[in-house]
Amino acid sequence: MSEDRVDVVLVDDHLMFRAGVRASLDGSIHVVGEADDVDAAITLVRALQPPVVVLDVHLPGGAGGGGAEVITACADLLTTTRFLALSVSDSAEDVVAVIRAGARGYVTKAITGPDLSDAVRRVAGGDAVFSPRLAGFVLDAFGAAAGDVATGDDELDRLSAREREVMRLIARGYSYREVAGELFISIKTVETHVSAVLRKLQLSSRHELTRWAAARRLL
Amino acid sequence: MRLPLRRPAQGRWVGGVCVGLGAHLRMPVATVRLVMGLLVPFGGAGLLLYVWFWVTVPVGDPVRAAAEERPAALSRLAPRLRDPSRRVPLTDIGLGLLLLLAAGLLVAVRAGVPIDYSWVVPALVLLAGTALAWSQLDAVQRGRFLSHAGGRTPVSTLRLTGGTVLAGLGVLLLVGQDEPLDALARSAVAAVAVLAGAALVLAPWWLRLVRELGAERAARARESERADIAAHLHDSVLQTLALIRARATDPDDVARLARAQERELRSWLYDDRTVPGTSLAADLRELVGEVEDSRAVPVETVVVGDLVPDAGTAALLQATREALLNAVVHGRPPVSLYLEVGDGQVEVFVRDHGDGFDLTDVPVDRFGVRESIIGRVRRRGGTASVTSRPDRGTEVHLCLPTDLDEGEQR
Repeated sequence: MSEDRVDVVLVDDHLMFRAGVRASLDGSIHVVGEADDVDAAITLVRALQPPVVVLDVHLPGGAGGGGAEVITACADLLTTTRFLALSVSDSAEDVVAVIRAGARGYVTKAITGPDLSDAVRRVAGGDAVFSPRLAGFVLDAFGAAAGDVATGDDELDRLSAREREVMRLIARGYSYREVAGELFISIKTVETHVSAVLRKLQLSSRHELTRWAAARRLL
Repeated sequence: MRLPLRRPAQGRWVGGVCVGLGAHLRMPVATVRLVMGLLVPFGGAGLLLYVWFWVTVPVGDPVRAAAEERPAALSRLAPRLRDPSRRVPLTDIGLGLLLLLAAGLLVAVRAGVPIDYSWVVPALVLLAGTALAWSQLDAVQRGRFLSHAGGRTPVSTLRLTGGTVLAGLGVLLLVGQDEPLDALARSAVAAVAVLAGAALVLAPWWLRLVRELGAERAARARESERADIAAHLHDSVLQTLALIRARATDPDDVARLARAQERELRSWLYDDRTVPGTSLAADLRELVGEVEDSRAVPVETVVVGDLVPDAGTAALLQATREALLNAVVHGRPPVSLYLEVGDGQVEVFVRDHGDGFDLTDVPVDRFGVRESIIGRVRRRGGTASVTSRPDRGTEVHLCLPTDLDEGEQR
């Protein structure tokens, strides 16, 4: 997979940061376009339809929705174009907004070049990229208590016991490989669980989920 | 604290009253809807209650409203992302059409066969028309204005009503000096009815004017407060930059300064801060910042849930600090810290990627792990364990039971 060339569109309003990201990505990842606000990003992504778009959560322009607005406007491309959110903000309300809009993962801007390249490849391959922070948000949103457990696969509002275990390990700083070793399952199974959690985070109509993100630190 | 009562646009069926009430009372929307529905047969109580809330509760996102009511000094400086999915108010348009239909029907009925219940329809139309007029007061704290409109105290309300009644009587007597008493009474009733109708419909516009004035004033005060904070922040960034330039030869110092400044900026820009002393999560982050600064090793911190700190969690934090220092000094980065407030317990995991060590190999006289980490937590009725494997580093797991009634906060 790492041999394959991955085309990427980079969306961030800071020129210096874009230059830094471009320089830190490894050889197999090609930046084919750059945009610096919501409207330019939508036009560019629609024109190029790249496999991966790396975009900042906070962007000027548009209706003020930032990265989430770009993804929403390109919702019909989501099967072929995947979005990876990159943010300097750790705030749950920002991160959950882009994930719910359709992003396949979220990493902080402090990420190293190799890790970012890895995340881009993983997103291009259709997997979800979960940082410990995002796993923490998920546990917060769905409730960390052990009693509230989903029984069927089609249940969107609760995590299964296994999914919760995987999320807790990721939040504790375990890599996918370490999670697999700890739970005696394959890495592929870990990826399946993570993708299922991402789907729940995006599709759940759980009322608290939308409210929760912002309410968490407010009361 | 509760979320303020608002009628959110998301998830509403008709006016968003039940969704708003659910969020305010922290109850499932389905329950609120069921109760409202069950109340309808009792003389239409549910319906009346619904219309009352519809009229008096302003439209808006409760969470956003709560955010806007926070003191500026505790709110994040960066603008909040706006929800890009803005929909056409279909229900409002539908209701308007329904009202037009009702009015047309009324006219038809009046023109054609007179029906006995014809008074019901005008009453309904009047009610709905008024509701529509009042719904103009978007995002206004109607409740507050309703209580302020007539005066703040019962006495001033009494004075206002008394004055209005007296003045009306005076005018009526002046104008209709020679009229018989019953004609006077009839015209008085008609005049009052017309006036009341007009006032009912026009009141929202007047309230809106008053509201905009107040909101503008509040926004100005907030803006100046935020400008003060921004100035302070810019100042501290300048100081840090000057320090970095002065110590450009020492990479460790520069990294430390940059990290500390980044953390400060991030928390001011993107976090809604809590009142000091009310949040274990905030205390933990402060502790992590301290350790990061003193040892120049970044710690990936994840917190799930929160509670008000007490003596027990203070001990837990102390133990966490020791574990973190151990990980930073003896282990290898990346160092991860995970705190979870669950049902009746707080759990902390501190993990590093070092070569690990065997607890039994640690000399008995070494106080570090045994006393300051494990002992501290056990004395508070908690458990502590250290897992160490050469390939996966060391993980310290601390678990402390909490009192449910004073602990669990959210």
